Amino acid sequence: MDLFLARLFDGLGSGATYAALAMALVLIFKATTLINFAQGELALLGAYLVLVLGVEQGLPIVVAVFLAMVITAVFAAGLERVFIRPFDPSDHLPLVIVTLGLFLGINSVAGVIWGHGARDLPSMFPDGNLYSRGVANLSWVTVGNVATVLATAGALYLLLNKTKIGLAFRAVSSNLESSELVGINIGRTLQFGWALAAAVGTLGAALAILTLFLEPTVMLRVLIFAFAAAALGGLDSLGGAVVGGFVVGLVRSMGVGYLDFVPSELGVGAAVVVIIAVLLIRPTGLFGSEQVQRV
Amino acid sequence: MTILDVQDLRVSFGGIVAVADLSFTVDEGQICGLIGPNGAGKTTTFNLISRLYQPDSGSVDFDGTDLLRVPPHKIAHQGVFRTFQNLALWPGMTVLDNVMVGAHTRSKQSVLSAPFRFGTRREENRLREEAYAILADLDLAEHAFKPAAGLPYGTLKRIELARGLAAHPRLLMLDEPATGLTNAEVTELAELIRDVRDRYDLTMVLVEHHMAMVMAISDKVVVLDFGQKIAEGTPQEVQANPEVIRAYLGGDA
Amino acid sequence: MSLPKRIAQGGRNHRLYLLGSWGLLALLAFLVPFLFAETFAPELFGNKYTVSLANVNKSLAWAVAILGLTVLTGFSGQISLGHTFFVGTGAYTSAILVEFFDWPYLATLVVVIPMCLVIGLIIGIPAVRITGLYLALITFGLAAVFPSIPKIEQLADRDGWNTGGSNGLRVSKDLETPSWLPTNGIAEFLQGIPLIGGMFGSDGLPRRGADDVYVYFLLLLVAAIAFLLVRNLMKSRPGRAIIAIRDNPTGAQVSGINPAAVKTIAFGISGILGGVAGVMFTMMAQFVGPDEFTTNLAIFFVVGMIVGGVGTLGGSIIGGLAIVFVPAWAGQTETLPIADIEFGAEFGPLILGVLLILLMFAMPGGITSGFRQVRARLVQIIPRAPST
Ligand SMILES: Nc1ncnc2c1ncn2[C@@H]1O[C@H](COP(=O)(O)OP(=O)(O)O)[C@@H](O)[C@H]1O
Ligand SMILES: [Mg+2]
Repeated sequence: MDLFLARLFDGLGSGATYAALAMALVLIFKATTLINFAQGELALLGAYLVLVLGVEQGLPIVVAVFLAMVITAVFAAGLERVFIRPFDPSDHLPLVIVTLGLFLGINSVAGVIWGHGARDLPSMFPDGNLYSRGVANLSWVTVGNVATVLATAGALYLLLNKTKIGLAFRAVSSNLESSELVGINIGRTLQFGWALAAAVGTLGAALAILTLFLEPTVMLRVLIFAFAAAALGGLDSLGGAVVGGFVVGLVRSMGVGYLDFVPSELGVGAAVVVIIAVLLIRPTGLFGSEQVQRV
Repeated sequence: MTILDVQDLRVSFGGIVAVADLSFTVDEGQICGLIGPNGAGKTTTFNLISRLYQPDSGSVDFDGTDLLRVPPHKIAHQGVFRTFQNLALWPGMTVLDNVMVGAHTRSKQSVLSAPFRFGTRREENRLREEAYAILADLDLAEHAFKPAAGLPYGTLKRIELARGLAAHPRLLMLDEPATGLTNAEVTELAELIRDVRDRYDLTMVLVEHHMAMVMAISDKVVVLDFGQKIAEGTPQEVQANPEVIRAYLGGDA
Repeated sequence: MSLPKRIAQGGRNHRLYLLGSWGLLALLAFLVPFLFAETFAPELFGNKYTVSLANVNKSLAWAVAILGLTVLTGFSGQISLGHTFFVGTGAYTSAILVEFFDWPYLATLVVVIPMCLVIGLIIGIPAVRITGLYLALITFGLAAVFPSIPKIEQLADRDGWNTGGSNGLRVSKDLETPSWLPTNGIAEFLQGIPLIGGMFGSDGLPRRGADDVYVYFLLLLVAAIAFLLVRNLMKSRPGRAIIAIRDNPTGAQVSGINPAAVKTIAFGISGILGGVAGVMFTMMAQFVGPDEFTTNLAIFFVVGMIVGGVGTLGGSIIGGLAIVFVPAWAGQTETLPIADIEFGAEFGPLILGVLLILLMFAMPGGITSGFRQVRARLVQIIPRAPST
């Protein structure tokens, strides 16, 4: 029972970080029906900014995270304008390739600037546990992660449903042509999607670093689970991304924990199996709309 | 002898019944004109026979084979080929290669033999010669080595015809082959179609808006309106049919 | 003489042209190992750049991997970001067979080829339904999984054969130059040529480089065969079918081509080439490890394909050279005259990333397309109508 609880808490905690990054992926996908392979690296950049602002400049950690979100958002808006917009959105190969180029570039810049050593970030949440029972510890970090992700999902919901730019974004993502006809500035709106995604991704990275160490390859390990979460949720559903994130987190912790024959190295494999199974059985994921099928 | 037998063919998209219980037959060696106003369901009928669409009900029999039991990519193997109203060519390939793909079913090279050129050379040469001869036949030889991209529309439609001929089908269905041609060229095309029908032993179904052409070369004509057959018979019979005249009133006849 | 020079296909001039250009290429390929066996190290801005033969050999292996990607992504239109899965599988299988079962290196192809074919077909079957970005996602996942497979306890720590876990597996069997291959004699002969002999070093081949020359010729042979087979394939019925499905599936289908079968087969062929590249890697490196087959390498393969030119066979060679030498040279650059930044190996992926994006903007057809444009200014082959 304790072991079960331990795995449950573990799954929830990591699931929250997958959910955050998956939401970022979904935002981009909604905007451009593109899977942004550089999303994890943008988030990585955000995490290093938190390091610079919070540790080296000594700002309060919450302020540092917020500032890092703003900076990566502006940066991502610039990337969208310069590297993404010139390409035909319906032709996927060049766009995927550009995001791969960004992936390599950003990752390597991070390594050049901050080196390859593992760094630690200060926590936004109190130390210690909210609840303990045997080996099962529900730490404040886990609680904080889950709460932050749920709050972010709520904030995104409000933003997309109650604000003008949010509504424009939803219009563009559901029908590009008719949004153009009613006079929405498409480019601006998509740029907004990129900026928002980068901010959410940075938050996700800041959360993930609380349980992992910050190094240039860290996001790659998280990203593949975020892909699985987004695919499971349906790639164009924010709620789906959150649910998908937690499911993937739990599948990983329970699967590796209970199925003895599954070597722990194959956690990543579990994520890939989830992606393939979902896309084969239900290509629109759990909550995605039919539209997604038209690739 | 009947070679194509379509019975009670029906398909609907959402609420629209695009083809409504359509029945008609075509005899071997005939040219059958399939006409009707825009949106009548002519292209859809082609799509059903070539299995790109799945009918709700009905049957399509080609020389004793139930085509509805044949998967789309096996239709050509049965000797049935069609052209497209909006073209389905490969812009990046040369015109000659476009036509050679049409001969896919008449060639045996496989992934096992081709890399090692086990007996593929002679076959490849034969196909190339044949494809070139067809192009020459259709006055397209000058374009043989150009990429298809960028050629005029009327030329591309003829290349599709050439691709169809390269398959040596028994039934060839042409969807608006005269689009983009001048009147003089239409007359030429009409002659060409009769000519290839005779030389390649073809049965043809011809969808075309150019009435003079359809009436001149068809052995029989089937008229569709809103997915339903409203008339069938020789060109003379059909032209005299009051229903047909009504359907075309203000139309493009 | 006015340019472009027009040459009739199949005529005498055409034969001369083909003989000349292929002959030149063959000569170059023959001379390369002797040029670089002696460490060739030109200096630029105070940095020493070496072209080691080992890196040339690695380029050959990666060229074949990129060739596989070209078949899949370039010709068949299916995106794969996971080719390291095939390459790694081939490399590990080969290494284990050589190290623990004492197989000759090349003989391992007999196992690797069917194995990677089957894996390719297995991935190819769902790929018929899962297309575009989703396929990119799945294959990226495969690339992410691969490095953890050799670390699985049951494979890493077993008695008998094993993968060596995180430390990797060193293959102790050397590829020694057979006595009938007079590489040393050739080197001495080249060194003896007046004027240019010095480019080939002196006193025959250096001891350490001698076997690399032999490995080079082995790999060149394997690569040449792979390229020839793929070229024959693409110039025939199945090759046309692959491209037909990519560019117009409907037109292909009514022409009698089975899209599912063709796309799956393309995956299988691509898998084979990946596996062969893996065997080639094991031959040149005599080592396999989980860190050799990372997602970064999988992305590098895509970079190589783009740099060389999507959908061109020759581009794979250029791509293979680019993804090996760009990072290698970045690592050897310590100072640059333009800015006072400290350069180093980390810049390799950065340069490749920037190159990738620049090419997408400026030359989407890659270097091969640029080369072809130049060539078109010089010679024009007039196609010959088939005789009937
Ligand atoms: N794939 C489809 N989805 C929805 N409606 C279709 C589809 N294909 C054809 N239709 C409809 O079926 C009707 C017949 O179209 P079509 O066969 O193209 O007519 P035409 O006689 O001009 O060739 C039209 O109303 C058209 O809109
Ligand atoms: Mg039509």
